[in-house]
Amino acid sequence: MNRRAPTHLCYASAWWTIAWLLLFASMQAAWPQGAPLEYAVKATYLHKFAPFVEWPNAAAEFPGGDFAVCVVGNDPLGAVLDRAVSGQQVAGRTITVRRLASVTGNPGCAVMFVTGSDAQPATAVLAAVRGTAVLTVTDGATDSAAKGIINFVLQDDRVRFEIDNSAAAAAGLTISSKLLSLAVHVTGGNR
Amino acid sequence: MSSQVTKPRGTSRLWRLTPAIALATVIALLTAGGLMARYVDRANAQQEVDEVSVQARVLASTVTAALAFNDRRVAQEYVNAIRANPEIEAAAIYDSGGTLFVSYKQRPDAILPPDVKPDEPRFIEDRLIVAVPVTEGGNALGTVYLRGFTEPFALRLQRYGVIGLLMTMASVVVAVLGVMQLTQRRANEELARRAEQLAAANQALEMQIEEREKVEEALRQSQKMEAIGQLTGGVAHDFNNLLQVILGNLERLGRRLPGGGATAGGELRLIEAASRAAGRAATLTQRLLAFSRRQPLAPKSLDLNRLVAGLLELLGRTLGEAIHVETVLAGGLWRVFADENQLENALLNLAVNARDAMLQGGRLTLETQNVRLDEAYARSQEDVRPGDYVLVSVSDSGVGMTKEVLARAFDPFFTTKDIGQGTGLGLSQVYGFVRQSGGHVRIDSAPGQGASVKLYLPRFFELEVVETVVADTRPVPHGSRHETILIVEDEDDVRSFTRDTLLELGYEVREAANGPAALRVLEDHPGLRLLFTDIGLPGGLNGRQLADEARRRWPDMRILLTTGYTRDAMVRQGRLEAGVELLVKPFTEADLARKIREVLDR
Repeated sequence: MNRRAPTHLCYASAWWTIAWLLLFASMQAAWPQGAPLEYAVKATYLHKFAPFVEWPNAAAEFPGGDFAVCVVGNDPLGAVLDRAVSGQQVAGRTITVRRLASVTGNPGCAVMFVTGSDAQPATAVLAAVRGTAVLTVTDGATDSAAKGIINFVLQDDRVRFEIDNSAAAAAGLTISSKLLSLAVHVTGGNR
Repeated sequence: MSSQVTKPRGTSRLWRLTPAIALATVIALLTAGGLMARYVDRANAQQEVDEVSVQARVLASTVTAALAFNDRRVAQEYVNAIRANPEIEAAAIYDSGGTLFVSYKQRPDAILPPDVKPDEPRFIEDRLIVAVPVTEGGNALGTVYLRGFTEPFALRLQRYGVIGLLMTMASVVVAVLGVMQLTQRRANEELARRAEQLAAANQALEMQIEEREKVEEALRQSQKMEAIGQLTGGVAHDFNNLLQVILGNLERLGRRLPGGGATAGGELRLIEAASRAAGRAATLTQRLLAFSRRQPLAPKSLDLNRLVAGLLELLGRTLGEAIHVETVLAGGLWRVFADENQLENALLNLAVNARDAMLQGGRLTLETQNVRLDEAYARSQEDVRPGDYVLVSVSDSGVGMTKEVLARAFDPFFTTKDIGQGTGLGLSQVYGFVRQSGGHVRIDSAPGQGASVKLYLPRFFELEVVETVVADTRPVPHGSRHETILIVEDEDDVRSFTRDTLLELGYEVREAANGPAALRVLEDHPGLRLLFTDIGLPGGLNGRQLADEARRRWPDMRILLTTGYTRDAMVRQGRLEAGVELLVKPFTEADLARKIREVLDR
């Protein structure tokens, strides 16, 4: 799977580069609306959550020593995510991106971006990893059962997020109050 | 009432050091002030850095999430919270790329740098700039930039100026104290000096007063003595003439008794008793004269050691066995010029007084010594000339004298003995004799401490003359008819007694009652061998003048003077002039016979 990302990049590098630069430039000026920008931001956020979250027994939870950011289901981020984590580290660990169609438990992910698919909807994915030490992130879910620990929402055309602190606690994760303070909504108190 | 100025030594040393201490204190204060200002300045700057840095770090740690997730609203809220601190001029957050994220400015015109990276705190133009990194989980997220106001230099200077002013004022106070203290010390020293001068002046004044009182007391004493002397002298003179008549006539009466003493024992005893009484009366009169310093003296060069030694046997007999007599005689004793008999009399008198003070027995000490009386001593005493003296003292171990008795000891008729036991003239005679001899007498005594009478006789500068004492045991010498004697005497009784005595002795006698009459007799009888004249004569020519005239005109004429007492007119300094012989009244027939014979045979 790791080998597929550079391949993907090779094919669309020119288009992605132009698009990224254009979108980034316009974002600098007025943060104009645009799906690619939104996903770029979300892609960046996925690993940026890491410093504000405490995983229990971190070393044991991260097989291979890498900090794994997984995308489960349809991948709307694509190469943007790879680019976003490129050269980044979390607590001295290299970040790796894994894309999974479905899961039955936690396959060693620290952060799991749950989009779901027809085969395994987001709720099923969430249910499958519930109780394991993984920071589940969902994108714009409205049904509470479909919401991960962190759920991206759009507010004033900006990417914000909700946090389900109870779910985090159930997963054995501790979320920094700094992060909680940025959430548009926190379930389970502790804000 | 003498006063003393005392100074506490310990504090005076500290006192003296005070100006130096004050100066050192001033320097120390100023130095401490400077050091303090510098320290406070540094501490202040460090404190400002610390405060702003802490604030920047707090902001950096709170703003991490907002910066990470690009939440300007929340970040702005955090940055705006800085508003609470008026010391912060501007605050800003830059992202990891160094681009301004959010900012706060106290004043709208404040300018923020476009690009900031973390850096060490630094002061730029009264501003403190702090740029700390924003990190989360080891990831650098951006930079917090804070710019704080620092206290302007002028304000700091003002503050240190206040400190400096306080220090200077303290220094001035200390310096003023030092100067005041110095001034006061000088004033104190001056005061002490004046107090000493005053004390000295006061002491001098007291001494003068004391001296004056002594002199006045001495003057009073001498005036008293003089007055008593005049009185007693006059009485004694009259008494002598009366006693002369009584004694002479008693003597002749005894000789004329039929059959001599053998057959008429009763009458002779009566006459002898009367004679003894008259003799004692004569002795008293002599003492009175001695006290009034009008007794005729026959002084000669004396060795007091020999005189005292000669007295010892007599003293032993007189004082009895209960009294132990000691002598302390100085070697190389100077000679004195005094009347030997009177001096012996004086010492005997003193010895008898000592015995009376030692009824239970005791020790009598006779002591001789060369002494020098200096100016100071002479001034403190009545009528004493400084110079060399020979001291002869008579000391006893008796009951001593009280101050009151001591003060009156020399007064005639003053006695502490029972009535009839003493005449009160013993010490008076001593006093008069010593004074007449140019000496000085004093008594040292206290009750229970015995008494010491000291006679100071002037040193006599003359070669020693070997003396021989010849006991007067010769038979009464007679005269012959071709030896004619002129008797000049104004008292008829005395003259007739003298005439009769000389006639009985075999001399041819002529008489005169005054000076001019005597001169006429002398002119009529050029063969006269001897002029025997009283000194006190009426008629404008006294015995002395008569004698001078006679010697001038008849150089071979022998002259014998007689008197009851002497006056300066004829005895200078109480001493007879050379070539003049004197017979003191009252005299016995034997005295007269020997003296007349002596003068004629010379």
